[in-house]
Amino acid sequence: MDLFEQWRSENWGGRKWAVSIFLLILLLHCVAILLFTSGFLLTRTELSQFSQCSDVFESPCFDRNEIGLGKCWTKPAVDRVVIIVLDALRFDFVAPSTFFEEKKPWMDKLQVLHNLTSQSGSSAKIFKAIADPPTTSLQRMKGLTTGGLPTFIDVGNSFGAPAIVEDNLIHQLVQNGKRVVMMGDDTWLQCFPHHFNKSYPFPSFNVKDLDTVDNGCTDHLFPTLYEKEWEVLIAHYLGVDHAGHIFGVDSTPMIEKLEQYNNILEKVVDVLVSQSGPGDLHENTLLLVMGDHGQTLNGDHGGGSPEEVETSIFAMSMQPPPVSTELDTSYCKLDTAGRKVCVDFIEQLDFAATLSALLGVPFPYGSIGRINPVLYALGPGTWNRECHNEGNCQQTDKEAWLRNYVDALCINSWQVKKYIDVYSASSVIGFSKEDLLQVAEMYNQAEKSNFDKLNDSVQYEVESCHSSVTDLKRQIDLYDKFLATVAELARTKWTEFNLEIMAIGFGFMLTSIVIHFLVIKRLENLQQASHVFEGGYKMSSNAIFASLFVAIRACSVLSNSYILEEGKVAAFLLATTAILCLRYSILNKEKLTEAISFIMLICILRFTIELGLSKQATNSTLLTVHLSRILHIDKDSSVWKYIAEIMPTLALTILTYLLHKSTAHRYCQSITKYVVKGTIFSYMLIGVHWILKSDLINVSDISIKADIIPRMIYAIGFVQLVSLALGQLIREENLSDWKDGIVLDTVAMLSAWSSTVIILSGKQGAFVALASIAGGWLIVRLQGLEQKANNGKSGIISLYSSPVTQWSLLAACLFFGTGHWCAFDGLRYAAAFIGFDEFNLIRQAILLTIETFGFSLILPIFGLPLLVTYSYHCTRSKQPKRLFFMQLSQVFLMYGLVTSITVTFTIICVTIQRRHLMVWGLFAPKFVFDVVGLILTDFFICVASLYIFE
Amino acid sequence: MEKAKEKLSKMSTSSAGTVLPISSLYTFFLHTVCSLGLALAFWVAHNVYSINLVDIPNQTLRLIWVTEAPIVILLFSGFRQHPNQCSYMKAVGRGLLGLPAGAIINALGAIALGAPVGIRHFSKTANWSILMSVFTIVPAACVFGSSWTDWQRLFAHTKPKGPIDFLICLPAHGAVIGAWFGAWPMPLDWERPWQEWPICVSFGAMAGYLVGMVASFVISVFQKHLKKE
Repeated sequence: MDLFEQWRSENWGGRKWAVSIFLLILLLHCVAILLFTSGFLLTRTELSQFSQCSDVFESPCFDRNEIGLGKCWTKPAVDRVVIIVLDALRFDFVAPSTFFEEKKPWMDKLQVLHNLTSQSGSSAKIFKAIADPPTTSLQRMKGLTTGGLPTFIDVGNSFGAPAIVEDNLIHQLVQNGKRVVMMGDDTWLQCFPHHFNKSYPFPSFNVKDLDTVDNGCTDHLFPTLYEKEWEVLIAHYLGVDHAGHIFGVDSTPMIEKLEQYNNILEKVVDVLVSQSGPGDLHENTLLLVMGDHGQTLNGDHGGGSPEEVETSIFAMSMQPPPVSTELDTSYCKLDTAGRKVCVDFIEQLDFAATLSALLGVPFPYGSIGRINPVLYALGPGTWNRECHNEGNCQQTDKEAWLRNYVDALCINSWQVKKYIDVYSASSVIGFSKEDLLQVAEMYNQAEKSNFDKLNDSVQYEVESCHSSVTDLKRQIDLYDKFLATVAELARTKWTEFNLEIMAIGFGFMLTSIVIHFLVIKRLENLQQASHVFEGGYKMSSNAIFASLFVAIRACSVLSNSYILEEGKVAAFLLATTAILCLRYSILNKEKLTEAISFIMLICILRFTIELGLSKQATNSTLLTVHLSRILHIDKDSSVWKYIAEIMPTLALTILTYLLHKSTAHRYCQSITKYVVKGTIFSYMLIGVHWILKSDLINVSDISIKADIIPRMIYAIGFVQLVSLALGQLIREENLSDWKDGIVLDTVAMLSAWSSTVIILSGKQGAFVALASIAGGWLIVRLQGLEQKANNGKSGIISLYSSPVTQWSLLAACLFFGTGHWCAFDGLRYAAAFIGFDEFNLIRQAILLTIETFGFSLILPIFGLPLLVTYSYHCTRSKQPKRLFFMQLSQVFLMYGLVTSITVTFTIICVTIQRRHLMVWGLFAPKFVFDVVGLILTDFFICVASLYIFE
Repeated sequence: MEKAKEKLSKMSTSSAGTVLPISSLYTFFLHTVCSLGLALAFWVAHNVYSINLVDIPNQTLRLIWVTEAPIVILLFSGFRQHPNQCSYMKAVGRGLLGLPAGAIINALGAIALGAPVGIRHFSKTANWSILMSVFTIVPAACVFGSSWTDWQRLFAHTKPKGPIDFLICLPAHGAVIGAWFGAWPMPLDWERPWQEWPICVSFGAMAGYLVGMVASFVISVFQKHLKKE
């Protein structure tokens, strides 16, 4: 009833009213997104069961005679394992350059691995390991240790890694009396807080720091190698990951890191080999050097692109090499030095099962991996060497191994089958019945054929080797088929979508859109009722074009290609609106310069977007690298260096001048004046900061204090915001030029945010700020041209729909133009550490959000009032201010509506594409970005309305 | 179309002014020759030089505009405004001047909308924009010369007044709108050779041009019909 009364009343446009409407929309969106997300991004149900040694008695594979032989599930094949994890190890760091089309500077740096693999008589192998997305470190750590498929929702936990509660390899090792030593990345300690015998953790989140973790790791690694008190050693190096994040793959620090690793690995192998004599410490040790995921050339990872999922495992046993099992899938080529290097293939999913089998511990309960034959064959214990004497035929060695492997696969398949069954029984939506039946049938078939053979085992011994080897291979094929089917099933169906909840969430989203429409329409009617604007409901062609563009942009997210090129789509549409503007300006014979410069500005934006799309333009070297490449100027020439350093400062000076000019000739509230002065001071600080950071002046002694300047800027920005908020409480009534007052308030708000946004964006920040000011000003100037052509006979909706659409398209262009894109590797983690060295979740998250959405969301929304103040000419009404606020709320609503429609289509898109190959690599990140953007848009509209409205 | 019809009904009362009166038969003839020119260019490309637009866009586009430009310039110069003050040769000269000028305008527009830039793409963009110029600017240049108000009427107001206006305005707009839509498949990941710049855009432009010509012919027939009434 209250709501209805409020709806009927004509007293719209007040602060209370506006804020309550925007809060309602924010609330609706929150509910909608929470519901949808909980249906869409469901986690895999984690089972609480743990595998036990004794479980194996239930399995059909277990031979009763072997009870009490000290064997758990499989016979231990290696005594000790050294795992060296090199974070973000690309496959082409490890494999010889001849495997790729072109030799790049970062290839062939880990020569020691090539040497070891190509030497005859060494049992070392290089594997190409395929990780499953999401390829973030925590997810991969979880995947490697549990042998399962961690789902997308865990990505959010990556910053504050929680303990892994599911059954995992480390837990099994500890349970079965294996002592584990860990050094390096402290995420391991967060995942496994009580498991390690000894640990030497080092902080991992400071991406700027390339050496602390690595040096600490190395310092502890070598003494530990000589110690007896462990069975499994994990050393996790982070240098390559950090070097990639900060400098990219093609950089000197990266190559230095790889060379450093080459030396370390050489020494490690020396130590192990020297200790590998009979009875020595490392007689039966397996060395594993592996990456947890790859990285793009830009140093990013998280998605599912080949560069990100392709990593490598290098495995080496201290024993002589095994005979070929003929089960390998190796692919050999000569390297640059003419040595033959072979590369095998492994799925990271199989890592946990294979390592468990090698160490003789129970497989993690939730593992769905398969024992990899090539890696398993490297374990000397899998070769039952006593058998050698029994048979007469030459292939006994191989045959015995194959039999061992079949036994291991039998246990492997039994465990996976058990997990699938228990999972389907205990989880709300398990696997579908048909799939389960199919899997069960495959399992039974494999099992049956295995037991037929076991029953004939007497006969089996007598039979000729060749046929028994074929039999064993057929058996292995059957198990392989079963395990591959399960893995595929798990991959395609793991994420449980709750369609009902998703539909309800979507319903809320639609409701919010309807509310937007209703309120906009109601405001329009009220204004017409007060006879301010004649015209009626007739939509002008501009409004039709605007809605058409919004519709095109919204529909474009339905295709993955357009999502990848979203920046270009936005620029294309913006350019089209600009050309329409040009047409109207020719028609009216005015503002021709503005229209043409708007088109020029879009041209520039378009090029920056393409730079951003090439995923290289993200760091502060943008200017030096790219412009010089375009202009063919030698990067190292000193003149060019000076220009690259001076240009941003020059842009900053122009900004300062503009800011000064915009407030100089107006009557100012004292608070506004101080805020603007504070911003000008901040700009100077930014200039000083850039000069200190540049290579031109050697200021190594002052650089320690360089962190102070960003912090000061953040502090000034915060104080400015607080004082502006307080200033609103004691606002002076100034009836004569209230419009000027609003302009000044808006400028003050924008300036308070700008300094923080600019310093976070790096040197491109000043240019982008200039571009956004120019773009905003041109949109404001060009609006209403069509209105004039039609003699002003159309409603407010038509008046604002076109500039608001342009405004939001410009915002989208700025998002992509500043080198962002809708994926987690598009986040600029380095920006979160400007001014801070240590990691703090909330602080860094806030900085990262401001960096990501600063130019594309915060500044455009706070700038919207300028759009209304420029075109609002109304002297006829008795309450000009109220009408102004009604128009302003309409503009805010339209902006919100444009965003909501895009997000709604993203939601439709992820719903349709939920089984698409790229759902986790492309659609889900896009969804998360859009949703976060929408909530922030609503939130900032609320804040802006609180601030501006009276 | 709807709009154009509305306007036509309004304008049937007012006279076409200084423009030469032309019949729908003439419109038909003109459009047929223009389309035949396009067809001829494609035929020559295919049978004489054995090239096509998808594989060798550069030469094919050049061939098309080399064939089409003289046809358009010579035909439209016959409909020049104020034929008494302006000789046929002068109109042809205007058309020839309009060719590069229109190419520059079209190229700039395409670059603003996202056409690739670089030495590698230069000749493709140049040939494409000359072709677009033949479709859009050149006819108007031949007919109106430097009469700014006529240009404004056609391309800003989009208010064609006589049959000759329709003859110029509709195919030109058709070509531009067709090219705009033709750019849509470019980002898709179908990995077809025709998705390259400027192949599908040229196809779109030509399709739009043909549609525009058909529309202008239909209107000229319709207009005659109206006049009879």
